Amino acid sequence: MDFQLSLESEGVGSAYPDQPLAATADDSVGNVMQLLRAQRTGSVLICEGEKLVGIVTERDALKAMSGDISITASVREIMSSPPATIASSATVGDAIRKMSEGGYRHLPIVDSEQKPKGVLAVHGIVHYLVDHFPETVYNQPPDPKSKNKEREGA
Amino acid sequence: MSSILCPYCEAENMEGTDECQACGEALTELSRHIPASSVEADLLRDRIERLWPKSPASVSPDTTVGEVLKLMVDKEIGCVMVVDRGRLVGIFSERDALMKINTDAPRLKDKPISQYMTADPVTLETNDKIAYGLHKMHVGGYRHIPILFEGKLAGVISIRDILRYLAERIAATSSRR
Repeated sequence: MDFQLSLESEGVGSAYPDQPLAATADDSVGNVMQLLRAQRTGSVLICEGEKLVGIVTERDALKAMSGDISITASVREIMSSPPATIASSATVGDAIRKMSEGGYRHLPIVDSEQKPKGVLAVHGIVHYLVDHFPETVYNQPPDPKSKNKEREGA
Repeated sequence: MSSILCPYCEAENMEGTDECQACGEALTELSRHIPASSVEADLLRDRIERLWPKSPASVSPDTTVGEVLKLMVDKEIGCVMVVDRGRLVGIFSERDALMKINTDAPRLKDKPISQYMTADPVTLETNDKIAYGLHKMHVGGYRHIPILFEGKLAGVISIRDILRYLAERIAATSSRR
């Protein structure tokens, strides 16, 4: 399928969203940092009941590591709230535009009731591209500079 | 008549030529694949320098973890280059901080960054294709890749730079229609 057409017709679900990982605003910064590490992921969604109220990313964790914020503080202190989100009905093209314009690396995917359905990470977009352009991305010639300048032997 | 560019010496050759008329390298693999969309053609044509690699923040290997973390927060940067006597020896990213430092930061803040950096990172050259950069980021799961020019550290690109480039290419393609 034509790439441009795919971007404007395929839903955000095609760009490998991560399962949402949730915590509450009362959880401590330290707990959320360890959750990020244990799950090897870049963001935790902060929810009240089933509703999304904030997001904490690696960037926020860095502030706690540098000593700007205590790890015993509640994540309420460091979360981005309300977070930028993308509707589950949006297309991959919408997501690329939104991430690029806002500089977001993680976009929670929400339904019409603001319930989180997943998280779109920038790596998912890259994965999507590689799927669409496998020949372009994988058939890269070897580095010309690494070639022997002269044939081996006499 | 369309032409293909030899990836080895950059000479122009007629489409379908089996080997480069200038340097003799095989071009058969290249003849088979014709980009199906203009975004794809852009990815194959444009070089890393087109992303305007930023000047990287650099530290020496004996800089402390605490100093590096503070630098990353204050300058709002996602990674620092670790440079020893002019040579790139490692990279320390938000991901390294999360995986290796995390809540141990108070205990580790006086340790040298060389103990926690990712040593001998994957690098790209300014004249590598953007498609190649995309490949490296995908395979390695990297978000930042140091850029070298003639073997020396010249900049850094992030996955956001690629996303921005892509958004621009897509917008340009849509407006051409």
